[in-house]
Amino acid sequence: MRLIDFVVRQGHLSEQALIEAVAGGERPAHIDRCDICAERAVAIGRWMDEVQREGAEAADAVFTPERLAAQQSQILRRLEQIDNPGRVIAFPAASRSERAAGGRRVSASWVGVAAAAGLVIGIVGGQMSARLNQPVVPVPQTADAQGAPVDSQFLDQSYDQSTISAFEAVDEMTPRLIQASNRNGG
Amino acid sequence: MSGAGDGLNGREADARVAVEIKALQAAGRLEEARDRFAELVTRHQRRAARIAYHYVRDSADADEAVQDAFVKAYTHIGTFREELPFEVWFTRILINGCLDRLKQRKRREKWIAPVTIDPSGVERNPAEFVPARGPSPEEHVLREERRRRLHEALGQLPERQRLVFMLSQFEGRSSREVSGLTGLNESTVRVHLFRAIRRLRGILGKTSSKTGVRGGRVSRAAH
Repeated sequence: MRLIDFVVRQGHLSEQALIEAVAGGERPAHIDRCDICAERAVAIGRWMDEVQREGAEAADAVFTPERLAAQQSQILRRLEQIDNPGRVIAFPAASRSERAAGGRRVSASWVGVAAAAGLVIGIVGGQMSARLNQPVVPVPQTADAQGAPVDSQFLDQSYDQSTISAFEAVDEMTPRLIQASNRNGG
Repeated sequence: MSGAGDGLNGREADARVAVEIKALQAAGRLEEARDRFAELVTRHQRRAARIAYHYVRDSADADEAVQDAFVKAYTHIGTFREELPFEVWFTRILINGCLDRLKQRKRREKWIAPVTIDPSGVERNPAEFVPARGPSPEEHVLREERRRRLHEALGQLPERQRLVFMLSQFEGRSSREVSGLTGLNESTVRVHLFRAIRRLRGILGKTSSKTGVRGGRVSRAAH
């Protein structure tokens, strides 16, 4: 027994000493002599047993046998994957080396030119096809254009009879075909 | 599962199986190695699940931690030393994994809110809501309440105290064994254990729910 237990606790064991005794499985000689400390030790022991049981039950209620079985198969599946990893195809490296081995390489500048040409062709082609495929908008026809009767009087009017004041002077100076033929024939 | 009852035989059997697995892996007989390892999984799985569950306090995290620990044990079995019990070696792997998960979770929880919270504000796993078979509804409710309180109380312990308490109480390890499992000094283990028990008794109460025995302090008035 420690001096502090004797002085402060009137000779009884501290809680720490009791817990260490119960948890460690030791049995201090004092417990055999002191009923109070023995009772306290029993109470602590029961409390610890109960907590232990509750803790185990709580975990077992969550990790049921079915869940443990599923967990085990998952573990074994993962181990199998580790032992037999899937094949990894080195796609970019292989294709580059094959191309290099073939000796045919396309210059990067040509790729750019081809891309630009493709873009231009695409734009022009698109424009053209858009125009060709543009639906013909019907011109609205007016009533005059459709069904107005032709002025037959205007058509029947002789050209000679039509006079335009602005051209009268010119007209006077211009010899007529009929007059010319009369002069030659007459 | 090699519990206290299995004693030395269980440990020897584990060590023998581990050495066999090492040899089978070296010989390239991987399927046989996996079959042998399945024996170790069967023996240690439940105990590992209990430790992980009480340590990380989340069933999904515990499930993954146990899986990861077994996978790591299998892939690193070449580093296993026969003089150390397989159980100790494996438990160290498991505890380290759980610790990493707790750190990850703390970082994550800064950004993400908890997913499932019951009305009392405790994070619960949906699996815990599945009713158990057998006991009456009243017993079931009381049991659930006790478990919930214990779960909460354990959650209030600092990590090291929780780990030491769990290994010594739930797993029945001595202070020396806990020291070997955690790498903590033996006297430190005892101090952590005492503090954990004192704190839990303060939270849960000192009365045994079944027996009604009180484990209170000695009344000075009695003397």
